[in-house]
Parts: sequence; structure tokens; C-alpha cells
Amino acid sequence: MRPRGHASHSPVLQSLVGAGVALLGLALAAGAFTIPSNAGYAGVGPNFLPWVVALALLTCGVRLFFKARRGGFRNMEEHTGEHPFWGGFAWLSAGLLLNAALITTIGFILSCTLCFVLAARGLRLAQDPLAKGWAPTVRDAGVGVLIAAPVFWAFTKFLGISLPGLTQTGWL
Amino acid sequence: MEVWNLLLQGFATAGTPVNLLWAFVGCALGTAVGVLPGIGPATAVAMLLPITSQVEATASMIFFAGIYYGAMYGGSTTSILLNTPGETATMVTAMEGNKMAKSGRAGAALATSAIGSFVAGSIATVLVTLFAPMLAEFAVRLGPPEYFMLMVLAFTTVSAVLGQSTVRGLTALFIGLAMGLVGMDQITGQVRYTAGVPELLDGVEIVLVAVGLFAVAEAMHAVLFEGKVVETENRMSRVTMTLRDWKRSVPAWLRGTAIGAPFGCIPAGGTEIPTFLSYAVEKKLAKGDDLAEFGNAGAIEGVAGPEAANNATVTAAMIPLLTLGIPVSNTTAILLGAFQNYGIQPGPQLFTTSSALVWALIASLYIGNVMLLVLNLPMIGLWVKLLKVPKPQLYAGILIFATVGAYGMRQSAFDLYLLYAIGLLGLVMRRFNFPTAPVLVGMILGPLAEAQMRNAISIGEGSALIFVQRPISLGLLVLVVLILVLPRLLKARTPTLH
Repeated sequence: MRPRGHASHSPVLQSLVGAGVALLGLALAAGAFTIPSNAGYAGVGPNFLPWVVALALLTCGVRLFFKARRGGFRNMEEHTGEHPFWGGFAWLSAGLLLNAALITTIGFILSCTLCFVLAARGLRLAQDPLAKGWAPTVRDAGVGVLIAAPVFWAFTKFLGISLPGLTQTGWL
Repeated sequence: MEVWNLLLQGFATAGTPVNLLWAFVGCALGTAVGVLPGIGPATAVAMLLPITSQVEATASMIFFAGIYYGAMYGGSTTSILLNTPGETATMVTAMEGNKMAKSGRAGAALATSAIGSFVAGSIATVLVTLFAPMLAEFAVRLGPPEYFMLMVLAFTTVSAVLGQSTVRGLTALFIGLAMGLVGMDQITGQVRYTAGVPELLDGVEIVLVAVGLFAVAEAMHAVLFEGKVVETENRMSRVTMTLRDWKRSVPAWLRGTAIGAPFGCIPAGGTEIPTFLSYAVEKKLAKGDDLAEFGNAGAIEGVAGPEAANNATVTAAMIPLLTLGIPVSNTTAILLGAFQNYGIQPGPQLFTTSSALVWALIASLYIGNVMLLVLNLPMIGLWVKLLKVPKPQLYAGILIFATVGAYGMRQSAFDLYLLYAIGLLGLVMRRFNFPTAPVLVGMILGPLAEAQMRNAISIGEGSALIFVQRPISLGLLVLVVLILVLPRLLKARTPTLH
């Protein structure tokens, strides 16, 4: 593969980060318009800090953008790894998002086990993209249940925190 | 003396079997999260914040303090034994500790860091005992203008002084302040930035931001960039120190404590400056063979000093947290959040209104230090085994705990989507070197600072001049301006090398 600089040093990506911060500032400013000022005795109302934050973020964003254009961010740490592995990221994201989507229907234990399996698969592929076998994934499913189930019981039974179950028994 | 009576009462509360158990579990858990890469004390405390709805305040604060402390002990084990290329949390310890471990002296490095942490932690706890009540008595007299300026000082130091870039630090701070804006305004009840989502009326949960920024972002970073990173582990040796090691360590511990403690006391947190300072001092004072060991075979002073400085800072940071309610690091910010979950606002009144809780907490710091010494010296072998947990299962497992923390807080699946989004934010911040502490400090302290500011201006009858009319508030304002302007002036005066 062709060697190239770290992605975080890319001026295009850095400019995008700056632009993103500036856009966030603009969005906050748009929101600040809708907040009434009713300042009362205080002289400053609930819309004051939103304006300060919006303008500050806009300024920071613009400065970051120009820094990116003129030689990049300063004093950046050297990062490990250079080529982002998006395949693994997709597995991990699927794990997290499916967990969010399913937790109330299939219960904490199953949903978290699924998240564990998908995330572990992504991380495993990151270590070795050629390891396509499913044997470790089956083992992960077992490990996932062994972590999720005791966690579920510990938090719901001993600490009284309510987490969604598949059944009403409180054990699954 | 009154302080000792109160402290004794604190020991009586902290010494009940149940509270001792909480302290022990906290210390053990803290050591574990300190040792495990990818999860730190801030994440661990944040994930466990939901227990505040069920567990009694004293018990859970003792538990959280144990985690906070334990992680400091555990973190050094990892930095000494593991050769992690690139980013490490305890950089300074890693410098010499890692060298010592490579030349077969891992045991001595671990011993000096554990005993040094104990010495520094205990001395700093004595300082907390003596000075926190005094500072609280003084702080009662501070009004909203002074508090507001103190918070501005904390914002400035955490974002502009620490870290590599002022702009990136300030960006992180304002992102945190923006997160703090979401929900109902404290004074008028005005709803802000909820986008019609009912879940956002109560604001964004601290758990989500902390767990998203640290745990989820860490897992994302690992899968994207760290797959090919090969870590090697140094060989353990017997955890013992020779007479010469002791002779070199003891003064380094004391110097480290003396450097670290003042840094914790002022609302200007962060352990980076005191640990680096202590390292520089030890290197400067070393002579002959000892000096030659720095950077080569690994000098024991270079581990002993910074480790002591680190623990002294972290412990002394309890003083501004408890007496002023001002957090200056990720973990203290989350501890403040834990207090708020109980409806307790740390500040000078805390020593009168929640005296039993505060003194039990302080007593538990003494107890925790002893527990940690035992956990980290004879039982070190147990923790070292944690380094063998394979990365995929480790990060995937952390995500399960992240779910507990995020979902357990208010039983809403919406929060899990938000957690993912904050994870993405954390990933971008991490990749482009934005510091995270300002986000949490801004988010937690922001609403308090806003309320203080509006109260202050009310006192000034609508005029912001109130901030310069009162001497303490004016002094703090000058300090903030100096902190922001001085480094730039100095930089402008020093000729550039190019």
C-alpha cells in the first residue's frame, strides 16, 4: 500500500473540523434567536449564555479553519495507525445501533450480547482482516452472555436499577 | 480540637462494615480500571452513576472516591509494564518506569510507585483534613461575583493552560457549555435547545457525555486505528526495593508530594504540570550514576517523584471540589455530578449541611490509601493478569457496561443513540487532539456559572461592573486575563528559531 501522512494531519479534514465547529456555532445562534430574553432584574436573561457560546464557537471554528488552511493545527500528537479500518467500524457501529434499537424488545441480556458479538467481530477483523471464520464469534456469543447476564442480575437485583428484560421474570 | 473530633466521627461512619465494603470494592474496581487500557476512572464512575438513585449518598461517594483513587494506583502498573506505543495517560511514569522494567527492574518500579502513591496520598489527605474546613470557612464569605470569577478561572485553566492548543481547548470548553445549555434554564425555567425531544428537557446526562467521549470513542478509535498496533509486555520481577532504592525514593516521594499538593489545591487542576515538574526536579537533582540512569536503565527517582506528585495532586483536588464545588478534571467533574444527583451542591456550606458525609468521605480517603497499598503490593500479580485480556473482548465488554450506565440512568433507548453520536464526537476530538476535560467541566460547571453570573448581575442591579467593584472578584479577573495574555506576550518576545 502507498504510504501517506496521518489522516488527522490532512488539511482538508482539519478544515472540515473547523467548518463543523463554525456551523455548530451558527446553529446555536439560530437557536438563540428563539429564546426570549425576559431578563428581569438580572439584566441578562436565559438567552445571554447561548449567544456567548454561539459566537465563541463561531470564532473558534473560523480560527480552526484558517489554521488548517495555513499549515495545519499546531502541536499535534503523533498518532498510532494510519489507515482507518472502516469495515471493523461498521461492525462496531452495527453493534451499538442495534443495541439501541432492540434493547426494549429483546431485553438487556440478548441485546448486549449481540452488541458484544458484533463489536468483538469488528475489533477482531481490525487485528486480522483475513480472519473470516465464525468460530471465535460463536465463542464471543458465549462470553457475551457470561458478561451481560451477571451484569443484568447485579444491577437489577442488588442495585435496584431497572434494565429491560425479555420476560417479566426479572431473570432474563 | 474540633477537626479531629469530626474526623473521628467520619472514621466511625466510614468504618461500618457496609461502608468498608463499598470502599474496598471501589478501590479494587478502581485498580482494575486503572490497569485495563481503554477505561479510566472518569468512565468507570460515570458508568456507575445510575446507582446514585438507589444507594445512599455516603456509601456511594465512598465507593466513587475509591474508584478515583484506585485508578491512580492501577494506571502506573500499566504504564510500567506495557510498552504501548503512542498515547499513554501516565506519560511521565512511563518514561522512567518503562525503562526500569526493560532492564529487569519492573518490581522496584512498581513498589516505589505504590509506596510513593501511599505516602503522597496520605500526606495530601492530612492537608485536605486541615485546610478544607479552613477554606470552607473563608469561602462562605464569597458571593456570586467571586464564584463566577472562580469558575471562569477554572474554565480558563482547564481549557487554555492545559493541553497543546488554546483554540482547541476553548472549542472543547464551548462545546461542553453548549451541552450544558440543553434543557431547562435553572433560573427562569425557559426551555433551550431541546428540538422538541422530551428526553432533552432534563438536559443531557453526564453519564452519556462521559461514557460516550471516553468508552465509546475509545472503542471506535481502537477498531479504526489500533488493529495493527503490537503491544509487548515487560517481564515482572519481584516487587521489592533495595536499601539504595529506598534511599533514593523517600526524598523523591516527599519532593513529589510538595510539588503536587499545591497544584491540586488551586482550581487549576490537571496532573500534567506537577508530574512533569517533579520529573524535571528529580533529573536536575540527580548526580553521577543516578543521573546516568535517566533515560537509559531507568532511574527510580523518575518514577517515585512523579507518582507521588500525581497522587498528591489528585488527592488535594478534593479541596476545591468539596469547598468551592469547582472540579478541574474529568473525574472530579463527574464526582460533582454524583453529588448533584443527590441534590447536594458541593461548596462551603457542605461542611455544615452535610458534615457527616464530608467527614466520612475524608476518613475513607485514609482507609482507601491503606487498602490500595495492600491491593497493589502483595496482590500486584493479580492485576498484572488483567493485561492479558484480549483487546476485542475488552472493548466489547466495556460497551456492555457503557449500555448499563447510559440506559440505567433514565431507561430510555433514545439515550443509546445519543451515546453513539457523542462517541462519534469523541472520536473526532481524539483524532484531532481536542482535549476532553474542558467538555465535561464546561457541561457540569456551565449551568452553575450561568446562575452565579445572573445572580451577580442582579446584585449589581443589572450592571456587570459588579465584577470589578469587588476586590476578590477583580483580582480573579486580572488573574484570568494574565493567564490568557502572558504566554502570548512571552512567546512574542522570544525570538523564533527559524
